[in-house]
Amino acid sequence: MAMPTINTRYINPRSRVSVRGHPLHALLVPIPISCFFATLVTDIVYWRTAAMLWADISAWLLVIGLSFSLFAVAAGLIDFLADGRIRELRAAWIHAFGNIAVIVLSIVNAMIHTRDAYTSVVPAGLILSAVVVVMLAVTVWNGSSLVYRHGVGVREQEAP
Amino acid sequence: MIATREANATPAARVATAALLLAIAGCGPAPIDPSRQVGADPYLPAIHQYLLPPMHVAKVVGWNGATPSAAAGLKVQPFATGLANPRSLYVLPNGDVLVVETGGPPAPVSRPKELVMNWVEKMAHSRTKPGQRILLFRDLNGDGVPDQSSVFLDHLHSPFGVVLVDNDLYVADTDALLRFPYTTGATQITAAGVKLCDLPGGPIDHHWTKSLTASPDGTFLYAGVGSNSNITENGMQAEVGRASIWQIERATGAHREFATGLRNPNGLQFEPQTHTLWAVVNERDELGPDLVPDYLTSVRDGAFYGWPYSYYGQHIDPRVRPQRPDLVAKAIVPDYALSSHVAPLGLVFYTGTNLPAHYRGGAFVGEHGSWDRSVLNGYKIVYVPFSDGRPAGPAEDVVTGFLIDGDKARGRPVGLAVDGQGALLIADDTGNSVWRVSNASGT
Repeated sequence: MAMPTINTRYINPRSRVSVRGHPLHALLVPIPISCFFATLVTDIVYWRTAAMLWADISAWLLVIGLSFSLFAVAAGLIDFLADGRIRELRAAWIHAFGNIAVIVLSIVNAMIHTRDAYTSVVPAGLILSAVVVVMLAVTVWNGSSLVYRHGVGVREQEAP
Repeated sequence: MIATREANATPAARVATAALLLAIAGCGPAPIDPSRQVGADPYLPAIHQYLLPPMHVAKVVGWNGATPSAAAGLKVQPFATGLANPRSLYVLPNGDVLVVETGGPPAPVSRPKELVMNWVEKMAHSRTKPGQRILLFRDLNGDGVPDQSSVFLDHLHSPFGVVLVDNDLYVADTDALLRFPYTTGATQITAAGVKLCDLPGGPIDHHWTKSLTASPDGTFLYAGVGSNSNITENGMQAEVGRASIWQIERATGAHREFATGLRNPNGLQFEPQTHTLWAVVNERDELGPDLVPDYLTSVRDGAFYGWPYSYYGQHIDPRVRPQRPDLVAKAIVPDYALSSHVAPLGLVFYTGTNLPAHYRGGAFVGEHGSWDRSVLNGYKIVYVPFSDGRPAGPAEDVVTGFLIDGDKARGRPVGLAVDGQGALLIADDTGNSVWRVSNASGT
């Protein structure tokens, strides 16, 4: 079998911010995703029980999720800007802008969670937590398309 | 080069940050004139809940030789300076003045918000490490200047209230009511205290000051026990026995909640004419710059004053779950509003003769001052005239000058007392001083 022609169309879009070939963005995103998803769970438990511990946990989850998302955004944005082939992908734009919206809403949500007692969660905090999880479903789907369909950041296979 | 660039960038960055914070926090209503909330029937605006907790503390600048200003006919002089967070005062029958140096236990952090709030609160107070002791000052020649001082009682645990009944001196630490033997003229007590009863203390201990007084006949002691939160955000289980005034039988230590629903009651005093118990109460925060007005009230046996479920009678607080309509229906309206966030911590009824006749029979209130209102409020001593044992007329400013330029604090007044000559004493925890206010034409 002949060696494949060197043609950029067949080379995967690269991740610039990576550690030994592991894109940093992909390493970081599970933390904010898990935190924002868990916030919805703890908000619901608080709403049903009015036990303050659950609202306190929500407040921590939002702050931890937002802290890690700053680094995830930085790594992802550099990858996005550094490779024109990524920017040509519709999924990349949905993923990027969707997640920026997720972060903006989560900042507002963290502020609402600084209120004291019931109205720190119900209704505005709980609604925002739910909206964020729905949006994450879309952005995570598109993010995984970038990797599993378009091979963003995936190392080239040697020809068999 | 880098340093220069940063120096240039900093004011711009500061303005941008301030603008952003104002845009977020400042979308609340503009504060009203506090005088609309002084008296029996305060104006109560609609609730405003913030996106970020409003925080505006006065920068502490100290007195640097200046003194507070007093109303016409009065003069102010320093009584004691260089103290370590003096918060409450008590005058013994022989005229000796006790000054309680104290500070609260460290605040635990259960939410990210508290990291910021604890830091801001630290900024609003003196940098001096608070004492945990009581000092005694004695004026030998009656000139209003102490000639002797001594450490009267040491190694206390966040003490605040002090009261003497016969030869028993009671001190309210934050977590226990202690009894010490006192003999007239003593300048020091070395005997170990005997615990009369426990008081609700740590580990949270949000409102830690335990104000103390005794019934006129000396049978009962009354201790103010503040809530363990702003508005139940530490859970209802943290509020057991709190936001109430305890009545403690002096002979046995047996106690019960005399009145409840009082978020942070301080300055417990018996009104001299009617012998009813009065207190100043710090109401809840984060419902807007003009909610909820702090107040001065008589305290009725068995009465419920609203906290946490409602304020000023039946105004429901939406932040509390589960709600208790049965208790809200019982909640009584306090007697006299002092306006919002003034933080009254000191109260004394004036029965002396040194001050001009105008001040006889009414109450002086020490207002520690706001930290969560864009236009600062409080930071002064006001006088509430009384007639037949009830407030009668608007509060008047008596001692001011704790604030300069609108947002810098020289000091913050806390506890009040009347000394042996009838002068008014003011504990200033941030200025680390005690001030003495007397008749301008005498001592």
